[in-house]
This record gives sequence, structure tokens and C-alpha cells, in this order.
Amino acid sequence: MPKIIIDGKEVECRAGISVLQAALDAGWNIPHYCYHPGLKVVASCRLCLMEMKMPHPQTREPGWAPKLFPACQTPVRKGMEVRFDSDKVRENQKHVMEYYLLDHPLDCPVCDKAGECHLQDYSEQFGNATSRMVEDKHKNPKKDIGSHTLMYSDRCVLCTRCIRFCDEIAGTGELRKVNRGSRNEIDIFPGEPLENELQGNVVDLCPVGSLISKDFQYKQRVWMLNTARSVSPADSRGSTIWIDYNKQGVHRIRSRYNPQVNEWWISDEARFGWKYINSDKRLNTARIRRGVSWEAVGWEELPGILRDRFASADENATAAVLSPMMSCEEAWLLAKFIRQVAPRATLVRGYVPIEGEDKTFPKGFVIKAEKCPNRGGVEQIIAHFGGNSMDFDEFVKAAGAGRFKAAYVVGGYPKEWITEAHARAISKIEILVAHDLFPSLLDQHVAVQIPTASFAEREGSFVNCDGLLQPFERAISPLEGVKADGQFFHELAGEPGLFRAEKFRVSVAGELEMFAKVHVPPDEPKYAH
Amino acid sequence: MPYERVLMQNVGVPNSTSLQVYKAAGGYQGLVKAFGMKPGEVVDLVRQSNLRGRGGAGFPAGVKWGFLPIDREITYLCVNADESEPPTFCNRITIEHDPHMLLEGILIAGYATGSTVAYIYMRGEFMEQFHVLQKALDEAYQAGYFGKNILGSGYDLECYIHRGAGAYVCGEETGLIESLEGKRGQPRIKPPFPAIEGAFHKPTVVNNVETLACLPHILTRGLDWWLSLGTEASKGPKMYCISGPVNRPGCYEAPLGITVRELIYGDDFGGGMRDGKKVKGVFPGGLSVGVLRGDIFPKPPDGQVDPAKGYDELDCILDFDDPRHYGLLGLGTAAAVVIPEDVDIRDVLLNVTRFYSHESCGQCTQCREGTNWIYRIARRIQSGAGRSYDLDLIAELTENMGMMPGLSICGLPDGAVYPIRTLVQKFRAEFERHIAAQTPDAVAKTIKAINPAAYELPIQEGRALAHVGGSMQEIGDRL
Amino acid sequence: MSWETIDRTTVAEEKLGPGLSAAAREKIRTFFPRYPSKRAAMLPALHIAQDEIGYCSLRAMRDIAELLEVPPSAVMDVVTFYTQFWTHPRGKKVITVCRSLSCELMGGKEVLAALKEKLGIDEHQTTPDGKYSLVTEECLASCDHGPCMQINEKTHKCVRVEDLDRILSDPDNDKISMPRSDIFDAPQKT
Repeated sequence: MPKIIIDGKEVECRAGISVLQAALDAGWNIPHYCYHPGLKVVASCRLCLMEMKMPHPQTREPGWAPKLFPACQTPVRKGMEVRFDSDKVRENQKHVMEYYLLDHPLDCPVCDKAGECHLQDYSEQFGNATSRMVEDKHKNPKKDIGSHTLMYSDRCVLCTRCIRFCDEIAGTGELRKVNRGSRNEIDIFPGEPLENELQGNVVDLCPVGSLISKDFQYKQRVWMLNTARSVSPADSRGSTIWIDYNKQGVHRIRSRYNPQVNEWWISDEARFGWKYINSDKRLNTARIRRGVSWEAVGWEELPGILRDRFASADENATAAVLSPMMSCEEAWLLAKFIRQVAPRATLVRGYVPIEGEDKTFPKGFVIKAEKCPNRGGVEQIIAHFGGNSMDFDEFVKAAGAGRFKAAYVVGGYPKEWITEAHARAISKIEILVAHDLFPSLLDQHVAVQIPTASFAEREGSFVNCDGLLQPFERAISPLEGVKADGQFFHELAGEPGLFRAEKFRVSVAGELEMFAKVHVPPDEPKYAH
Repeated sequence: MPYERVLMQNVGVPNSTSLQVYKAAGGYQGLVKAFGMKPGEVVDLVRQSNLRGRGGAGFPAGVKWGFLPIDREITYLCVNADESEPPTFCNRITIEHDPHMLLEGILIAGYATGSTVAYIYMRGEFMEQFHVLQKALDEAYQAGYFGKNILGSGYDLECYIHRGAGAYVCGEETGLIESLEGKRGQPRIKPPFPAIEGAFHKPTVVNNVETLACLPHILTRGLDWWLSLGTEASKGPKMYCISGPVNRPGCYEAPLGITVRELIYGDDFGGGMRDGKKVKGVFPGGLSVGVLRGDIFPKPPDGQVDPAKGYDELDCILDFDDPRHYGLLGLGTAAAVVIPEDVDIRDVLLNVTRFYSHESCGQCTQCREGTNWIYRIARRIQSGAGRSYDLDLIAELTENMGMMPGLSICGLPDGAVYPIRTLVQKFRAEFERHIAAQTPDAVAKTIKAINPAAYELPIQEGRALAHVGGSMQEIGDRL
Repeated sequence: MSWETIDRTTVAEEKLGPGLSAAAREKIRTFFPRYPSKRAAMLPALHIAQDEIGYCSLRAMRDIAELLEVPPSAVMDVVTFYTQFWTHPRGKKVITVCRSLSCELMGGKEVLAALKEKLGIDEHQTTPDGKYSLVTEECLASCDHGPCMQINEKTHKCVRVEDLDRILSDPDNDKISMPRSDIFDAPQKT
């Protein structure tokens, strides 16, 4: 751990990082555009220039060198002394900020980045109030460069983060600079759009409003959004995400820094694949079958009804299907409930959707083929409870053979998951409780249907493919008529009080070690971006 | 004693590009001599000669070679024939008239550095020169000077000409390497320096054409001859270029250390100004080093100078160090262009700023935006809508864009600010005269036309006020 | 202009222009052994493409990308960086006028203006008969013979306005005197 001196203060930092990273880690607000810890250093924005003490070429006396050094390109060395708090450095920042705004259209009122734009922030913190340029501005066009992305060239600061991302992380290299000098623009080859599966990240990466997500454009002002720390349910990787939401619902999903899992990136599936939570097809009433028709039941009555129904069935012929879309807490509580009413009940690991094969990108980012967030957690819980267990295919087979009389089947998948064969087999179960997000082929066979809440409406934790248990927060209230699953299972299992995921994890940590090892990724330094 | 030309010894000799003529004049003897030494000895010799790079920066070639890691497996030699600095053309002369001298230099440098492949990066505008050099190279290959086991020495060197396509910045050594690798010619961040990690991530030596052309002569004529030429810190001969309205524009060889006045007026050099015009200014070493004044008044013939009156700057000695005393960047390429008295200095500023704006690669913000902003200002000044404040602004911007030591990845903005700043500083009075002669509302009208949102402001002291895009600039006494 | 969106995701067939011939591809491949990476043959490949087609068409860029195993965008990046590559068709002969300081002091501006008038075109345009294109370049390194201009490979030195008619009407105004190397093709074989 080398120690370096920044602005006269001693700072301990990790070895091998740049001075800029060390300063950001230690809480300094150093303006920077091109530097991103996940990408190659190009040192081209020249905003992070600093003064450094160097030995004088003749006298070897250490003193401030006349030259300014890019902090992003200078690795930390033990005992080095740098400063940002100097007139020379501030003068440079001021000039560079002025340069950035020369050709900038200043269209913040209609720019979606306004409010989280580093051109705004840095201009305010390090720049000038007025521009001294009286000449005509270069006006660059707005370009449609991909299915999710628009490029506003005139807002661009040419930090080339997006180019480096496409080159290094996605490995597809669609984005490039064209032209030279002040005519530089970022563009795609005509007819070769930005279509990699990570393209949404370039919007996150863009420090200004140049790359705009079509999905979020003109939807909300960012200062009207709240954020929740969540984990993407899109695949078993467990990428951590920010859910940006307000009273009108979820508006955007962004990646949340997680050095051990997804670093700074998420797949487009995780970013854009959440729209199903607003679908009007979602189930929104708990109901019981009465002959050929349904009868809605109140949530408060449901636990009693379910208890009665399962108690009446043969405990050897009872099963609970724990979906890998459930959180660990929910799976635990449902398992607990089913073993309360039927101690010999079978615990079934729910259907695991697999799409294609794992896709690994050049620098190691992986999109998993397994499109559920919590297979690992569900399996550990089933193993912990012991007794009879099986996986979903076996369950379907056994059900088709008439082995089960009562079953609690949890779904929660964004896509249709019950095939006709499944439905035919499962329909043989007399007391069938289906807890799902969308109507399915099972509907005509179920006795009790319960709507589930989406991931944004719940709290809990998922265990990802590497066995990390990562908690996620609730962003929005469940759809009207839907109850958050955690709270419902809490009541179903007869636990007292309100369900709070964190409190719950602590309470069961003694029983299952998994719950004690919660992985919470560190926040990025305040001024890093 | 008339100076005997070496670098240009074959210029003007009939059929000088042929191997036969070159060999008849003692060609490839330097190579034979080099092969008689160990590579390290050649490096030492060059280091002792203090051969400073002729490309502009003046970095000693021997020292550069010394940076190569000892345990390297492969070394590339890149020859910088991307001579794009206006108004420089000495490399063109060498290639056009004596390509074998360059090839011999390449062989010696390649042998000394242990290079196995040499790439001659030639600017795309050299069309005829490409064919000349390619023909010479083919001839040299046939004669066994390139390829495997050259002259039985056991040394192998392949040499290829790589044609550029019009980019000044590719003359910067890492820009050249990027361009050679098939990318846009954006200079790389340093460290690592090319000697450690250059072309194709391997140790690379980049040398200028003229630097390499000196090598055969150092070997054949010896160190004593070399050290007898030039000034204290700048040894050897140099090809000086002079262009503009002088009587004998062209390339002239002389030991380092002639003055600008000699270059313009000397009978062996420029031969005086055409039509007896006076000199207004001189860019003595390519545009990038900055400008010298020539218009204050010529020094009296007896050499007595009245310090109160000031005098012109034509006594600047063209070696690696003296130009710095005149606020210039250095020797540069030692190619002078003379601005005669009847040229409008605003046109010169416009030309110079356009060049850098056009050639900036666009990586670093200061250079990309700054050069273009200054160009836009210069365009307005030239169109007759300048403000005194613009001159201050240009001076301030050049201050920020990078004076040595620079603020950006490569030296291009440093090279840009020297001519721009020295022009504005040294010819301020003339700019002011032009501005004072403008119609009083010229600035207001121009700015209004560009930016209708500019506020109407009162006119002070008969001069147009600063209109600033949509908002107001603090006016003070700058206008 | 942010109210207009340019669609870059699709490209009209006719905008792609001609592709590379098999001979040109073969010629590009002969450059591969010169360099440790295929990508380094980018500039030679573009020169060859421009010599064959007259400019660097989108389809040629794609072809080169395929040959050099890089994304097409990487080729576009290089093409647009260097001023000698044209992305739109040019005339049979390209007149490159030097506009650097030496030539300007010697009358380069007047030569350029006269050329524009005589040809009736502006910079980066082509005469209607497709014979000449006009372009300016920063320095042609013939400052001692300013003002100078190039017609294809031939450099014309000390050009005076009154010489222009003679130069333009000479059918061999782009022929160079020294023997050509055929490593690159003659521009726009006529």
C-alpha cells in the first residue's frame, strides 16, 4: 500500500493504480472525461492534469515540475507528491472546460442527460460562466446509430469511452471516430449499426448527453427519479443494477458497480428487459376456483385457505415448486410453510430457463444462458431442508404419473414457461396452487391462483452463478391487487410481524450459513463516473 | 574556404539516383566500414558525434538508440520521411537526388540497432519521390545491399516503403507508428517510448531521413571531420531550406550555425530579396518554431547597433539552441520562409492557424478545440472584423494550449502556439493598425450576422464592443 | 440540427459504390508479408482501392475490412483521417494545389482562384465532364518552387496564372518522367 501526498495530505492507495484513481478513491473531485477504470487509458481529455514534484534535472532538488501531468496516466509511486489545488491546474481546467463548450449547443433544456451531466457539473465547478467565442458554432447532426441508441454529435466531448467500450469490452468495434481535428465525430460505419448485446452501457458511460437511450429519451428528468439498489433477474450472473423510479413507476435501469461480478457493465437484457413488469397482462387478483368460475379472495384470507387445503392432502403426495425467480427469503419461507403443513412434502427446484449458451466477451463479461437469478439459492435451501426433493423435469414426470395430489407451484418468469406437456402432466394434481406473474396454460387446472410481484416490487436476495448472495431493494409498490411475495410467504409461514429482508436474513443466518455471507458491492467513489 | 557539400554532394550530378553513380562517388563505403565494426561500436561512434536528430526536436540519435532494451528480440527501424512541416523540403531533395545515401544510412542505423525490418514512412504527397526511392531500393536489393546476409556480413535487413496519405501529425514518431500499424495517426501516450514499445509493440527506432543520411559520412569521413563542423552543441552539416520571395529559393547545405541573415542574403544561399523588398519576418525553421522580426530596421553595415532603437532578429544563429533566445521553439527543420514587407500579416496568421487547425489529430482537447478556435478568430480578423481583445485572447489561448513543456500528448500544439503567439506578439502593432482602420461597426455587424442573439451594446471610443454569444463579456479597458 | 435525425443504421445500395476486384484483393494480399499484422496493410490497401475505383467506396472499405480482419468501421476511421482518401468519386485527374505559406506568398491564392474559375468548380468538386477534381493540400514540399500543384502524380512547379491554360490543355500533364514502380497502380488508368 504505497502512500502518496495529494495537496499536502497523505493518502494511502492501492499499488498499481493511477494517481487519478487514488485521488478519486480518497474523495477528491477531479474532473475527468476520458478516464474510466474499466477501459484503456488514452489521456486525451486533458482535464485531470496535475502538478507533480520532480527532482530538478541539474540540482536533483525536488520541486514542482513546470509541466502538468495527466493524473490518469501517471501510476502511483511511493512517496510521490502531487497537487491539484494550484492556480496552474485550475487555469488548465478552466480553459479545457471553455473549449468543451465552444461548439456545444447548450440544449440542456431538451437534453435527457441534464441533471446527471458531467459537462454541466464540471462547467459549474471548474469552468466559466460565459464563453468568449463569438464565432459560429459547428453544428453536427443527430444520428440514429442502433436499435437502442441515438448519437447527438454536437454534444460530444470526444472522450472516446464508447469507442473503447465497443472495442475492448464488447469486442465488436462498431463505434469509431471519423474525420480529424475539430471535425472529429463519433460514428458507425453506414449500415453497420451498434447492435452488440452490451450496447446500452455506452449510454451509461457517456459523461455528457451525446449518447442517448431511445428507451429513456424524453421520459423523465433525472432529478425526479429515485434510485434503488437491485440485482438483475435477467440471468444467473446476478449483475447489480440501479432501478431509477418514481411514483409513476420504473423508468430506467442502469448498471451498478460491482467489482466481483459485472464490474461497470450490464447486458441489454438486464437494462431493457424489464418492461414486462408494466404489462397489462399481469395477474393482479388472488382467486379461488369455484366450479367453472373464479372467486376473488382477500390476501388476509389466503394463508388460512392454503393451510386448510394442504392440510387436507396426503403429505406424501404434496410438493412445493420453488422457482429460481424467487428470492432466497421467499424460497425459505415457502419451504418452511410446506414442511409445516406436510413434513414429508417434496421440495422441487423450479423450472430453470436456458437460452442458448453462455456468451463470454473479450474482457470476461459473461451473459449467462441460464435466465433466472436464483437457482443457486433455491438449491441450497432445498438441500438445507432435506427430505424429498427433485428437479422440475422429474416433478412433471411424477405429476403425470399421478404421484402428487397437492402442489404449490411458483413461477414468476417474464416469458411463457408452461408447455402443453407440462400442463397436461401437472393438471393431474388436484389441489394446484399457482403463484405466477402471467396467465399460463395451467390456469384452467389451478385451484388457487396467486399473483406474484416483479423483482422491482420485492426485496430479498439472489445467489448468483458464482454463489454470491446479493441483496436487492424494493423500488416501487406492487401492482394494485398484488402483494409482495416476501410479506405473503412471511404470513403464510406464520412468522410474526412485517417482512424485512435484511432482518430476516439475520434471523436465519444461524440456520443456513448462506444468509450470513451477504455480498454488498462497494459504492463507486463519489466523484468517479 | 568554400564549404564542400557532403549531404548534397550528388545533387545536380547526372543520373545521381542510380546505384552506379552513387557507388562511383564512394557510396556504400560507410556501410562496409560499419560492417567492420561491432554494432555497439557504431552506436558509440554516433553517440560521440552528438548527431542530433534533424527532424526538428534535435534529440541525439545515439542516445535514442541507447534506450533500446538490451534483451530485445526484434527491433524495427522506422524512417521518418513524412516531411510535412511547411516550408521544409530537404528530405525531398535527398530522396529525389540521392536515394542511395538514405538507403545506406538505413543500413548503417539498422546494423547498429540490430533491426531486421526497416519501414520508410513516406508522406503520401511524395508521388514522384516514391517512384525514385522505390527504384533505388529495388536496385539496392538486386545488388545485395538488402535482404539476407548483406555483403556477406551475416546481417539481414528488409526494407519497405510505407506510403502515408496526407497527415502532418504522422511525422510525430508515435503518430507515425500508429499510422504504420494501419490506424489513424494519433500520437500515443508516452511512456512507453517507442524504443521500449513501438511499432507492433516491439522496440522501435524512428529516425529522420536527414539524420540517417548523415551516417555514411560520419563513418567514411570520421569523427574529427564531423566535429570540426558546426557550433559547440550542434555538430555537423545541415541542409537549410529557404523559400518565399528570395532570389534563390532552394536547399543549401552548410555547417550548423549560419545566421538567418546569411541564409536570406548570402550569395551562396538565398541571394537576397526579390525586387529588393525588405523582410517583414521570417519563420526560420519551419512554421512551428515561430517567427523572427525582420522589419524593425536592418542592422547598419558597420554592425553598430543602437540598443535604444532595437534591431531586427535576423542575426539568430540557426543551430539547435540559439533560436530559443528569440522566443522560438528551437531549430526545427531549419527551413526558412521569408515574409516580405508588402504582405498583410493577417493573411499570414490565417494561413498558419489554418494549417494547425487542419492538421490537429483531434485527440487532446486543447489542441483540437484551441487550434480551431484560433483559426476562426484569425478568419474574422482577416475579414476586417478584428478586436484588440482577440489578440489578447489568442495570446492567452496559446499560453494554455501548450508551450514547451506541453500539456498534450504530442508536440503539435506546442508547435502551433509558437508561430501563432510570436506572430501576435511581435507584430501586434501591425494588427492594431489594421484593427484601427476597420469601419467602426465591422465587429458588431459580423458578430450580429453570426449570432443574432448577440446583444446590442453601445459603441465605446469608436470601436465595436465585444459581443459574446448570447451573453455579455466583461468589457473593461481591453477594447 | 438536433431536430433532424440521420439514419446511419441502414445504407442505400447505390451509396455503397463499387467493390474491389479480385486483382486488387490479390495485390493487397501481397502486402501482408511486409508487416507482422494484417491491419498494417491498411494504408497500402486503401491506396490500391483508390487507384482502382478512384475513391474509397463504402463497399471497398468493407472489402478491405474483410481482408484485414477488422471491423469496417476501423477502415472508415482511417479513410476519414487522411486527407488523400476520397469518399466520393473524383475526376480522372486530381489537381492538388498547395496552400501553405511559401506557395501563398508566391501567388498560390491567385493560382487557386484562377483554377476554380477556369474549371468552374470549388474545392473537392469535379468538373461535369469528370476530367478534373480540385483540392488543396497543406504542403507539397516543393516550397522552393512555389506556387506548386500536383496533377495526379506529377508536380508542376512555379505555376503562374498565365501557365494554367497550357498546363490544363496538355494531355500529358499528369505523366511523370521517371520510371514508375508498379507496386501501386497508376491513378485512374485512362
